Amino acid sequence: MSDCKRGFRTRTALTAATTLLLIPGLALAQAPSAKTSSALSTTSAKQDRWLHVRVISSDAKGETVRVNVPLELAEKVLPAINHDRLHDGKVKIDCAHLNDVDLRTMVDAIRTAKDGEYVTVQGNDNDVRVAKQDNHLIIHVLDKGKSKRSQVEIKVPMKVIDALFSAGKDELDLVAALHALSGTGDTELVSVKADDNTVRVWLDSKNVTD
Amino acid sequence: MMLLAKAALGLTGTLFVAGAYTFHEGVIRIDVDEHRAGGSHVHMWVPAAAVPMAMHFVPQKHLREAAERSREALPIAHAIVKELKKYPDLDLVEVVDGEQHVQIRTRHGKLQIAVETPDQQVHLLLPLSTLDDFTRQLEANAPGA
Repeated sequence: MSDCKRGFRTRTALTAATTLLLIPGLALAQAPSAKTSSALSTTSAKQDRWLHVRVISSDAKGETVRVNVPLELAEKVLPAINHDRLHDGKVKIDCAHLNDVDLRTMVDAIRTAKDGEYVTVQGNDNDVRVAKQDNHLIIHVLDKGKSKRSQVEIKVPMKVIDALFSAGKDELDLVAALHALSGTGDTELVSVKADDNTVRVWLDSKNVTD
Repeated sequence: MMLLAKAALGLTGTLFVAGAYTFHEGVIRIDVDEHRAGGSHVHMWVPAAAVPMAMHFVPQKHLREAAERSREALPIAHAIVKELKKYPDLDLVEVVDGEQHVQIRTRHGKLQIAVETPDQQVHLLLPLSTLDDFTRQLEANAPGA
């Protein structure tokens, strides 16, 4: 065997040995970053907030509707919808239908007010209660209709309402409200219990309804 | 003999590469079953990779018309598909009404739409990447794009 060939083989063997020695080192060096990446993806998955809607009808057919929407998806898709009153994730309010009620001023007043019951109406047909409790606006309506009874409970974090009214005077910023909602904990937003169906709208970190 | 062997090898290689590409891109699956006398049963498997290629053969005039008609919906569809790609396994909507069942979900990066009624079953499976390509190409053909 010539010296040239022997030299080439020696160099090749040395290169191979060095590579083999370096591979575990590289793998070890990459391991923490892989762990970090895995941890990040887990955190990211944990941070996903889901809006769930469930409608269960108690009639003979037993109609059920389940909707699961990631809040991030809704936040990104809403600005793409430009139809009728909805533009860039904001919906225009028709002032003519508000009977000269300045919603923004009302929201400001509620924000600065202390916790308590603001409206309590007890009638033959309906009971209505509007309250502020633990930075949540709570609306409770009990319809005592003779044919069908229904109970509606709405619980919205104040920061979501603030975000909703953060746009111009005559518009509601839905995207900002969704963004604010994504920062809140697990919460039930709407609950309707009627004789013939129940509706639930809630927010949590699970990607499936119960 | 050698020439034939080379040609066979070339053909096999091409088929293998084409198959691998098709498999990578996924397939569009359409199943329609009508459960009644004389009802039709359609089962279609289309390589998803064929859609962007096929769109190149659609006359520009028709593409422009389609883009014009769906002008309002295209940005919404594009935004939805783009976001859905982040959720490869998502149960989006499920409606059960007696014997009727509608389900919209994503599985393994594919959009699944299933409609089941006592007399008909429709199942649609579409890779989200194909839908993304499709909406992109239509948007590119929209007037003023």
